[in-house]
Amino acid sequence: MQAGGDIFNALFDEFVFWSLIVGAITFGWMFHHSLRYRSKDGEPDNNVDNLTPGVFPVENDNLKMELAWTIIPFILIVYLTWISWGPLDEMWTADDDAHVIHVTGYQWFWEFDCGDLDEDICATSYTTVEGETRPLLSLKAGESYNFTINSDDVTHAPFFVDWGLKEDAVPGLETRLYYTPSADEIGSSLLYCAEYCGDDHGYMTAVVEVHA
Amino acid sequence: MFNNKTRILGALALLTILVFAAPAQSLSSGISINQDAGCTCHNGGVASAEVVPSIEGFPEGEYEAGMTYALNISFTGGPSSADAENQGGFNLWVSEGDLSPLEGATDVQQNADGTLTHTTAGNDQTLWQVTWTAPTSGASVDVVLHTNSVDGDGSNSGDLWNKATYTVAGFADMPEELPEARGLHVLMSSVALMAILTFIAVIYVFYRQDPDAFAWENLWPFFAEYLTSTDHKKVGTLYFLNGLFFLGVGGIFALLFRIQLATPGNDFLTHEEYNQFFTMHGTTMIFLAAMPMIAGLANWIVPLQIGAHDLALPRLNALAFWLNPAGALLIFSGVFSGGSADVGWTGYAPYVVSETANAGATLWVAGQILFVASSTVAGVNFMTTFCTMRAPGMGWMQMPLFSWSMFIATLMLFISIPAFGIGLIQVYLDRTIGTVFYEVAAGGDPLLWSHLFWYFGHPEVYVVVLPAFGIISEVLSTSARRTVFGYKSMVFALSGIGVLGFVVYGHHMFTSGMSPLLRFVTMLLTMLVAVPTGIKVFNWLQTMHGGSLVYRTHTLWALGFLVTFTLGGISGMYFPSVPMDVHLHETYFVIAHFHYVFVGGIVFGLYAAIYYWYPKATGRMLNERIGVIHFITGFMSYNLIFWPMHRLGIWGMPRRQHTYFLSTDDYFALPAEAADWNMMITVAAFMFFATNLILVYNILSSAMRGEKAPKDPWGGWSFEWTTTSPPPTPSFSQEHPPVLQFAEVHESEPGFFGRMLERMMVDEDNQEVSH
Repeated sequence: MQAGGDIFNALFDEFVFWSLIVGAITFGWMFHHSLRYRSKDGEPDNNVDNLTPGVFPVENDNLKMELAWTIIPFILIVYLTWISWGPLDEMWTADDDAHVIHVTGYQWFWEFDCGDLDEDICATSYTTVEGETRPLLSLKAGESYNFTINSDDVTHAPFFVDWGLKEDAVPGLETRLYYTPSADEIGSSLLYCAEYCGDDHGYMTAVVEVHA
Repeated sequence: MFNNKTRILGALALLTILVFAAPAQSLSSGISINQDAGCTCHNGGVASAEVVPSIEGFPEGEYEAGMTYALNISFTGGPSSADAENQGGFNLWVSEGDLSPLEGATDVQQNADGTLTHTTAGNDQTLWQVTWTAPTSGASVDVVLHTNSVDGDGSNSGDLWNKATYTVAGFADMPEELPEARGLHVLMSSVALMAILTFIAVIYVFYRQDPDAFAWENLWPFFAEYLTSTDHKKVGTLYFLNGLFFLGVGGIFALLFRIQLATPGNDFLTHEEYNQFFTMHGTTMIFLAAMPMIAGLANWIVPLQIGAHDLALPRLNALAFWLNPAGALLIFSGVFSGGSADVGWTGYAPYVVSETANAGATLWVAGQILFVASSTVAGVNFMTTFCTMRAPGMGWMQMPLFSWSMFIATLMLFISIPAFGIGLIQVYLDRTIGTVFYEVAAGGDPLLWSHLFWYFGHPEVYVVVLPAFGIISEVLSTSARRTVFGYKSMVFALSGIGVLGFVVYGHHMFTSGMSPLLRFVTMLLTMLVAVPTGIKVFNWLQTMHGGSLVYRTHTLWALGFLVTFTLGGISGMYFPSVPMDVHLHETYFVIAHFHYVFVGGIVFGLYAAIYYWYPKATGRMLNERIGVIHFITGFMSYNLIFWPMHRLGIWGMPRRQHTYFLSTDDYFALPAEAADWNMMITVAAFMFFATNLILVYNILSSAMRGEKAPKDPWGGWSFEWTTTSPPPTPSFSQEHPPVLQFAEVHESEPGFFGRMLERMMVDEDNQEVSH
């Protein structure tokens, strides 16, 4: 199992690739210039632009270079936005046939309601997490789910760490998450509360189990 | 002699004891006791002073570890008589070590709970011999002896018992007997220690000012001069010291909850304490450390840089400062209302108005309303100063970049903070007089708070980071002995960030249930922030080109800033991408990112500023050698804290949680090495805190013994380097302000925006006003 899910990990690798390039350029440039153009203080002739107190100094610019590092990062950003745009379709497309599971946050526990779904597709029971009784949600790989999220008191957020998904549980508002766990995601993972909700926020966990 | 009937009854009674574990009965076959309830033995629950138990054989002083001692147990008094068949019994309990009967003894037996008692055979005597093997722990040992004196008539009536307790001294205190450290006690002690040290430092500074003319009568005037001053330099010093003090307090908060997080499942802090500490850490660092330090720097430097004799509205300036300590008092006094705010610095509704939040949240809100007032007043003051008090010859496009960054920052703060103020007042009313702005049942919308807060909260991070940009521009340009590369694009980039800062705040709310369309638009706009930021970074790099970079401590901090701020900027690009944000949101990746920009950006920028402007402010040079040590240790330990947090965030470790969960056979959570990373972060946090003490030491010791600073120690060009170090009061002559000269001829016509701003000015503002 890997935290984050497929969409996150694919995008993350792409972003890391571009981060490394940007980082290499910036740091290479910085180390080169800071070492190449260094001086020992006190040399009389090293005041390159003749900076004098009370005198606005000579200009030092180059329009072409400045335009270059305005336009090239802009293109990179458009590209990064473009690749982030793609998965949004997949994430936000509402599947009308998805099995609806009601997720409700309370201070400080989760409640999952499978409605009248088949036991094999959705089942709830209890398990223990570090000695505390916590809800267990059993799902079936390959089935499409619609998590309809709400809160009874303050804002919470179920964090499906294995799928890299979270959405706030806002009182008075129904939020939704659509997800189809794949066969690779068979197993149990911890579900956290990701939106601070008070005293036992850190212990507001549940276990989500995906079976074949 | 017991008859059969008695024996059967006795056996039945013993069974009853075994089944119900009732307080003990003395029986011919032995006594068992219940430590709390005592021995009921033969005569109800009442001990009798007639019976005198005694025990011999314990060591006089401390026992030796593992040594076996022979003990004689006996009693005198009571109805027992040597003529009778039965004389008495005993029970011996010890808290530590092992009791055992003598080898082969038939008169003493051991109960299941380890205590010793007589056997039926031992019922006929008043003296028993047993052994006790001392523990190795060294803890002191409690001993409880019950003896029972019986008259031997086979019934309980007339029998008496008594209890004796002894303590055998141990040779060492057990580690677990040390009083356990409580987070709040540690905090209060640290704050008290800091206050005492600050007080001593202030007294020492007072003494060292003029040791020959030292007199206690001068102490109050010395304080009063600062407490009542409206001079921008004195107010600036107050702001800065205020900020530095709370930087330490906020750091101690961080250390305390880092101890809690050092190992999974730790209980150094309770949930309630932990929640208060991270809330106060955030609020303290933003409102009481970063903002006052920047305001202090701006107070000091802006009038000097633009050639003004003071700020435009000196009394408002003093008011803006004094609202800060007042707000701080309010915020921290929440501790005395049964727990300070535990809502996170974001204070999300409806938790912040719910009953489960601590009562201190009300005071936390009230204190922040004062900060809103302070920022608004300071904003009016600074903008007026920039618009009306620039020296002759200094157009908008000739303002030094630090002043430009302060101008944009105060403008942004002035426009954004009213929204926060409105939200705070709503929350305050909800919490005090029962309005229902955020009461969901009454139709309140929790998202309203998120919008109001982040409409302020996002520009706020630029408000604190833009001045750092300005500092770095000044420091790098002066150190490289070059004009900053692309002065105009620097100004446009600052303004661009200022505009974009207001339209991107939605990226804090990608998972909040905000409309998907709005999320999508925010994603596009947020990505755009990288463009002006990138322009600034590349301009700084190019400033060094062809220059002659002088390595001073402030140069090192500026280069360190370039590294950490670039890393923070790159990690910032992961959040606007919604598909990645839904995983990274509210994890340690966020913590890593914003500490890279807050500490690596703002604090490093402020450190550069301290080393750069300290000679101007105090007239003394800071010690360069100590400064370099501060930089190297600080930079390394800082990265050790925050770099691993990226990895923790990718693993999905959620922030603001009292503990964290490692994967087990039953479920997937954090990998086992997450515990090691967290331990390393905690150790590094202590190192980073310690390195900051080097700076404090440098500031104090250089103020006493530093070399005298010349007017322009680094070779900068702006007006502050034309005046003496420290500058006189008023900083420049009001009648004859300095006039900006030019190294080359510029177009003197104001540009498009310059003409617009000119038109917005009231005529009189441009003329000399006689006071």
